[in-house]
Amino acid sequence: MDWECCWDRAVIGNDECPNIAEEEYALLNSRERRVLEKCSDCDRFVRDLSRFADSDHPLAAVFPVVHREYLRQKAQIQSLASFLDNKTLEIRFLHELGFVLQSSVDLEEVLSVALTAITAGKGFGMNRAFLLMTDRETETLKGYLAIGPRNLEEASQTWNEILSNDLDLKTLAQNFRINKLSAERAKFHDILEQLTVPLSAVDHIVVKAMDGKRPLLITDAFHHPDVPIELARLLEVDTFLLMPLISRNRRVGVIIADNCITHRTITDEDMHSLENFSFPVAFAIERASLYDKLQVELNRVTEAGKKLKEQQELIVRMEKMALVGRITSSIAHSVRNPLMVIGGFARSILKNSPPSDPKRDFIESIVSETRQLEVVLDEILHYSDSLYPTRDFWDVNQLVEGAIRDTADVLVSRGIVSGYSAGHDLPMVFIDFKQLSYCLRTLLQNDISGPGSERAIAVTSFKSAESVTLHISDRSRSVSQDELDRLLVPFSETSDLGVGLGLALCKTMLEKQGVPFDAEANADKGVTFTLVLPTHKEAQQ
Amino acid sequence: MSRLLVVDDEANIRLLYSEELKDEGYEVVTAASIAEATEKLQLGTFDLTVLDIKLKNESGIDLLQQLVKERHDMPVILCSAFSCYKDDFSAWLADGYVVKSGDLAELKQEIARVLAKKAQKARIGL
Repeated sequence: MDWECCWDRAVIGNDECPNIAEEEYALLNSRERRVLEKCSDCDRFVRDLSRFADSDHPLAAVFPVVHREYLRQKAQIQSLASFLDNKTLEIRFLHELGFVLQSSVDLEEVLSVALTAITAGKGFGMNRAFLLMTDRETETLKGYLAIGPRNLEEASQTWNEILSNDLDLKTLAQNFRINKLSAERAKFHDILEQLTVPLSAVDHIVVKAMDGKRPLLITDAFHHPDVPIELARLLEVDTFLLMPLISRNRRVGVIIADNCITHRTITDEDMHSLENFSFPVAFAIERASLYDKLQVELNRVTEAGKKLKEQQELIVRMEKMALVGRITSSIAHSVRNPLMVIGGFARSILKNSPPSDPKRDFIESIVSETRQLEVVLDEILHYSDSLYPTRDFWDVNQLVEGAIRDTADVLVSRGIVSGYSAGHDLPMVFIDFKQLSYCLRTLLQNDISGPGSERAIAVTSFKSAESVTLHISDRSRSVSQDELDRLLVPFSETSDLGVGLGLALCKTMLEKQGVPFDAEANADKGVTFTLVLPTHKEAQQ
Repeated sequence: MSRLLVVDDEANIRLLYSEELKDEGYEVVTAASIAEATEKLQLGTFDLTVLDIKLKNESGIDLLQQLVKERHDMPVILCSAFSCYKDDFSAWLADGYVVKSGDLAELKQEIARVLAKKAQKARIGL
């Protein structure tokens, strides 16, 4: 019998079998390998076998049976090999994924890896994924992040980019995190905003998937009895997968994945793989979230520690200040009285001595020096007092009117008229009344050189946002802005008596109370002081 | 002639006040403590009291409160080494407040002002 196939020859030429390619020429010299690898699938062999089956040979009926069984088992082995290959790839992928997830405590990195894995071709190859996270404060599931294209054009562009770069999962996730995370969140903002489901809505399909702790494949979503029509319309897909993220019985969130572009069927195999994937993802997300919270708490503790240290330092400083206060108070009393006696009796002697008395000059010096010492003492005492503001709510009008009344005599003696124009419905202000009274009196009768254009000081008040603003417009003074600024520095040199604390002390007192203070000099308008008095405790600095 | 009670724990200050205020035409009686002041107030009447706030181990404010309750028709002028008491609530009970100074002009003005006010009140029957 002449055979069409080459199976009956030990060695064949390179043009005798149409199924052997150039790189397979080793098969030309090995009949056994050629028969097993090529002949069993060759049409020529099948026809030879058919002719053999029709012959009278005793094995004619057996050979086709053996051949069919051989082909069946070969196909089965190939299928198993393919399955094993896929599983190997999947295990490698999960291993890579697990490694990345385990090594990160950064929530954004974990989420980037998880969502990239779901949508990358090297991963689960889904087109689009939404992550809903559990918000324990509001007891809701909230749309947090999404990934994927919104249309075919974008999909083609993205997938071409991925194909041309051939990057591993970790690099893809890193690229996503650095370049696309914010953009994706913004891109899906409209959908994420609406993806909010109360955890109490136990009949909602998303909550059901989470409570059931198993992935759910939703088909025919627009007519599915358990799927709210709003959700189907929002996702605009008929088929999607709900993958709960559960970590140690805690409901971390849900991933919604679909193939909105390719419409590839989601198989049971996909479901099973994603289910295996969901455990490490849920754990990693929970761990990263906890780490985030831990960081926040740590920052709070660090901040509290810092504040505590500051408070301790403040207490030490205040104790020192209190000591300074007690010392100055004691000095004031000890010094003031003898000073008063010296100055008083010197004046008394001066008053009773005739103008021709040669000792008058000496006595006048005593009077003048004691007067200067009294001014210095006053300033030091006020400075010491300024260290302890005691704030409460006070009436602005009472404050201003009191200061104007107290300074009226001095101002009148200088030929200056003062007046007050009160704003309507002024609220109470939160200030240290004593210190503010002192400041207003000092500002009204300050020693800035004059005279200015007018012999008048106008005080006005008006209500502003969470404060009452006071303007003290003093047209009786004339000073440059530089000179005025110098006067606001403690212990700056002045030609007047004292140590130059008056205005500087006011500024210090007001700053300590958190009262904004501004002093403006103008050649035409004189000097204007502005004080912004807070009306709330919170408005304090 | 108006009769003044000066209460101060410093002998030299009592002497200074006494001399200066007598020159102004007042009759001046002095006391070094609250107990002495109380005793002198019981023995005679005064038109005005000049009271130091810090009296050795006592507070002039205590005497002020007592006077406001028992002799509300007699004005009190507080004297102190500290100007900060001027804005203190307790000091607001007084009719006047003067920071101690070798220049007694302010004290004299304040005494004249308070006595004039008292006289005016008496005239209108308050």
